[in-house]
Amino acid sequence: MRWCRGLVSEPWRVGVLFSQSGVMAVIEETQLRATLLAIDEINTAGGVNGREIVPVIYDPGSETGAFALCAKRLMIEDEVSTIFGCYTSSSRKAVLPVVERLNGLLWYPTLYEGFEFSSNVIYTGASPNQNSVALCSYLVENYGTRFFFVGSDYVYPRESNRVMRDLLQTQGGEVVGETYLDLRAKRTDFVPVMRQIKNAGANVIFSTVVGDSTIYLYQSYAEAGLNPAVTPIASLTTTESEVRAMGFDVGAGQITAASYFQSVPNERNTAFVARYQRRHGDDEPTNMCAEAAYFQVHIFANALSRTNSIDTDQIRPAVLGSDFDAPQGRVSVSAANGHTNLWTRIGRANRRGQFDIVQESPTLVWADPYLVGSGRVSLSV
Amino acid sequence: MTTRNRSHPTTRGAQSPSSEVLCLDIVAAVRPDQEGDALIRELQRSRGRVRRLWPLPARLPEDTDVIVAELVPELPQCLPWVPGQPMAALIAVMAALQPPDLKLLRNCAPHAVLHRPFTANTVLTSLALARAQFLYERRLRGRIDKLDETLRAFRRVERAKNILMQTRKIDEEEAYQFMRRQAMKRRISISAIAAAIVDSCEVLG
Repeated sequence: MRWCRGLVSEPWRVGVLFSQSGVMAVIEETQLRATLLAIDEINTAGGVNGREIVPVIYDPGSETGAFALCAKRLMIEDEVSTIFGCYTSSSRKAVLPVVERLNGLLWYPTLYEGFEFSSNVIYTGASPNQNSVALCSYLVENYGTRFFFVGSDYVYPRESNRVMRDLLQTQGGEVVGETYLDLRAKRTDFVPVMRQIKNAGANVIFSTVVGDSTIYLYQSYAEAGLNPAVTPIASLTTTESEVRAMGFDVGAGQITAASYFQSVPNERNTAFVARYQRRHGDDEPTNMCAEAAYFQVHIFANALSRTNSIDTDQIRPAVLGSDFDAPQGRVSVSAANGHTNLWTRIGRANRRGQFDIVQESPTLVWADPYLVGSGRVSLSV
Repeated sequence: MTTRNRSHPTTRGAQSPSSEVLCLDIVAAVRPDQEGDALIRELQRSRGRVRRLWPLPARLPEDTDVIVAELVPELPQCLPWVPGQPMAALIAVMAALQPPDLKLLRNCAPHAVLHRPFTANTVLTSLALARAQFLYERRLRGRIDKLDETLRAFRRVERAKNILMQTRKIDEEEAYQFMRRQAMKRRISISAIAAAIVDSCEVLG
């Protein structure tokens, strides 16, 4: 088994798959930067057991098919077994069969719709019980029960809305409208949506719009003269990076649920933000996806230092059950399902493009990707 | 014929291949040497439709049951699928004397291998094994897809059950029975009935 182990000085090579072009580049580039920042930190501190981590980076250009091909290339031609990457669920689903067949390990730093488990994936973004559940209650309590769903047309929004619909019903709410737009939707495509929202008398716009069209959604909202204090857009995916792209004034007052905001007040986060901005520019905000991309590399490196082998069968058991002081607070990887136990926070965007944290979980929220024990409490009432 | 084979597998099985390996569509990307010719003949004896391709095309065809291909370094790139989603059974053809390239073998993820020189028995057994492995994997993948969908359906049905219990003041068993009856009457799945109940509850508010 040991025949493939290299020389002591040989670097640890890992794959990195985030889009640097196409409609998802705005957010995926932040994940790429955070990944490289973590790798830099580890290498500056002497690497892992004296060996450097060297990333092999490809740009799948926001194309689902390209993700699968890049993963194949990484594992077959570049001979890496560990891959950090993917933002959209469709890209994760494209990479999944490749890492499963060739026994790789994909580190997926993005919130998603849940209902998945693979022995070849470590999930470090939020599952629905870690964001949707608290968000739904908060919105019903503060804004009302009439939700309008607007999303991008692919797997995550539809699945995520299915979960949100269930949660909303348990809270006595209703979905008063639902519409999906192409990932490449233009600004004008959102004009009729705003009209529908007004006509439906919605209290909340629940958005699962991702990518460049996120900006058009919020801009059309502002132009339509809707008021975030009355009918906010609530999202699981609109981070500091999207707010920056749409304009601080456009985003102000809108709601996002996430495990991490740049405004989380602790020393670990202050240091993370400072290093991120030193490397990428003072006006570059961090966000939940970048934070997960950052801390997952550190969890990987900690496990690697113990196994001293990058082999999936060695490293995965060392990762499961491990914990780490992440910028959002202490997080741990569930041994039961390979998902990460995270914090739940609800933020309201302010005029400086940051989120004021209006609600926070008192402890870590256990990952429950299949919603086995979540969101059902009120069902039996 | 097949019935007799099943009752006497040890004595008669070897002579007549089971229907699993008969009449398959086979793509054979093998070197056009004497051994390659012999391989094609053996494959044809399984009554398969054999398409011979050489040199190895940049992208092997995917509309086939079995691909028999030389295990050359460029083979992973020529396979028309990404690892984990094979569209046909793959048999890797290897040399007898050179040490095997195990990494290359792993990257191609074949369902069986064939070593030169070929014999009638090894060709047939590889074909049977590859086909069986491929079909088994495909059934497993299908089962996972089905399980995923079942999980979702389960949540839907539970949700609908609760709606029925609340709105009609009936107990759990009666709620399930109601959905079963409706599903049978309309000849659709319980999951579809549950989805309709959940949706209509929403519309009615």
